[in-house]
Amino acid sequence: MKMLLRAVPLKNRLSDKFEEASLFQGIDADNLAHIEGRWRPMFEQRKLHAKTTGESLSEINAEDAHWQWGKKMIAAVQDPFIFDIFVLECAGNTQAIMLVRKGGEKCFSRHPDHLRAPLIYVDFLSTAPWNRPKLVSEPVYKGGGRILISTAVSLSLNEEMQGRIGLHSLPGAEEFYLNQIGMTDLGKDSDYGGLRYFELSAPKAANFFILPQQQ
Amino acid sequence: MKRTMTLNLTDAEMSVLEVLCEEKGLSKTALVRQALRLYKSVDERLARGDKVFVESANKTEKAELMVL
Repeated sequence: MKMLLRAVPLKNRLSDKFEEASLFQGIDADNLAHIEGRWRPMFEQRKLHAKTTGESLSEINAEDAHWQWGKKMIAAVQDPFIFDIFVLECAGNTQAIMLVRKGGEKCFSRHPDHLRAPLIYVDFLSTAPWNRPKLVSEPVYKGGGRILISTAVSLSLNEEMQGRIGLHSLPGAEEFYLNQIGMTDLGKDSDYGGLRYFELSAPKAANFFILPQQQ
Repeated sequence: MKRTMTLNLTDAEMSVLEVLCEEKGLSKTALVRQALRLYKSVDERLARGDKVFVESANKTEKAELMVL
C-alpha cells in the first residue's frame, strides 16, 4: 500500500525555484514503470557513452544502475514488519527511492558512541538519473537524497532508535554521506564487498534537522 | 492498528528485559518489537536454507547459529 506522508519542497536547479514534491511510504506500479521506462534507458545510454570515453561507473555516478527495484518492492511488500520503502515524486515523476530495514542482523550500531544499539539500516537509495550532476550536464532536482535520508532519521526516531541510521556506501556516494549528511566513516567492510560503512550517530541525528543558522 | 497483550515473565526474564531496555534506550514494547524482527529475520534465512554464523572477535572461532 502506498501512503502520502507529506509534501516537501524540492529545489529545481534549472529554474532555481522550489517545487512541491510528495513523499510516500510504499510504492506502486507507476513508480516501477518510471524506473524501468525512464530511469533505466537513461542509465544505459550514459553507460554506453562512458564506455567510449573510458569513464568508470563511479565517475558517472551510475554504480547503482543495475539495481532491480522490482525485486526490492516485492521484498518490502511481502515483509512490512522488517522493510519499509519510500518514494519521492515531483512533476509526475519518481525522483528518488529508498529501501530500509527496521530490524535484523544489520540493525546494530558499530559506532563507538553506542555500540550494538538498534538503528535503521538503509539498504538501497537511488535518485533519478536526471538529478545526478556527474551523469547529466544539467541536473534537474537537488536534495532528493537528503530528503530520503531525513525520512530514515525520522523513522529511526519513531522507532525509539534516537535517529541512528547505518549504511554501506557505493564509492561514488561516499562524499555525500560523509560531508553532506555528516555520517561517520567506520571503514571498509570486508564482509560487504569492501564497501565503506557509515553511520549517523544519535548526537549527530539530534542536530540533523537544525538549520546551520539555528545551531 | 495496535493491539495489547499481557506477557507473563519470571523475575529473571523480566530482569533481562529491563537491563536490555536500559542498555539500548528502548521501551519494553520497542525492545520486544526489535527482538521479534531479529528472530523473524534469522529464522527466515534459515528456512531458506541459508546458514547463519557467529564469529569470534579474533576470527579464530566460528559457530553455526541454530534457531529452535
